[in-house]
Amino acid sequence: MSATRPLFIPVILGTTRQGRASESVAKFVLAETAKREGVETELIDIRRIPLTTEDAGEAIKDSQFAATMARADALIIVTPEYNHGYPGMLKHVLDTNLKEYIHKAVGICGVSAGGFGGTRVIENMLPVMRELGLVTIFWDGNFSGAHKLFDANGQLLDEAYIKRTDKFLKELIWMAKTLRHGRENISLE
Amino acid sequence: MTNNKKLLCPDCGVEMNHHAMKIDYEAASDAPEAIDTDFGGVLEEAHTCPKCGQTQLRRSVDETDDKQTRAS
Repeated sequence: MSATRPLFIPVILGTTRQGRASESVAKFVLAETAKREGVETELIDIRRIPLTTEDAGEAIKDSQFAATMARADALIIVTPEYNHGYPGMLKHVLDTNLKEYIHKAVGICGVSAGGFGGTRVIENMLPVMRELGLVTIFWDGNFSGAHKLFDANGQLLDEAYIKRTDKFLKELIWMAKTLRHGRENISLE
Repeated sequence: MTNNKKLLCPDCGVEMNHHAMKIDYEAASDAPEAIDTDFGGVLEEAHTCPKCGQTQLRRSVDETDDKQTRAS
């Protein structure tokens, strides 16, 4: 494993809706990730990825998004729960890549208006992550009552999320380091 | 099943590490001759460069398997 290359862990904001509460969550998680030594991050807002809906999959790959995924050692996906599922646009974006994800870590933050912190959308995301070649961690981010979690300036109102996010990031970073070592050094054969 | 020929990183020139296999079912329609009948799709290998971290996919070629012998 290269000691000189920092880990790169982008945060994907997985909804395009107006008034999305997930945006504050994604910015909070981004800020917490950016505090970690040896970790670089950036926010990927799927609203800004120019994808057609005339086709799908690798045929409509966006070169900038693909390059960011190729550089990533792990992903953080912040997804709202819409009718117990994930946003179709998030799936549309994720499906445009494959080799860029293989044997990379992923942590999922579920966001919901109700009290279950997006647990159902996280459960729905797991088989998708697996088929994309991503490796899920067993710590999630569960953001309940999303519209009441932040003030008008996007400041977090419940500090318990700082400790919870710390545990989430510690595991994700451990998995990212481990999988980078595996991808680069441990042969399948 | 694997291709024994090492893949070199197109940017760094160093030997890449083969760490994963994937069955591509969709590629089967484009390249029916490449279908591995044991798996029902085209087998692809994922290789990652230990220097820059980039990953490349390549179609897996079984250099030891004799399909005709096995099919007969």
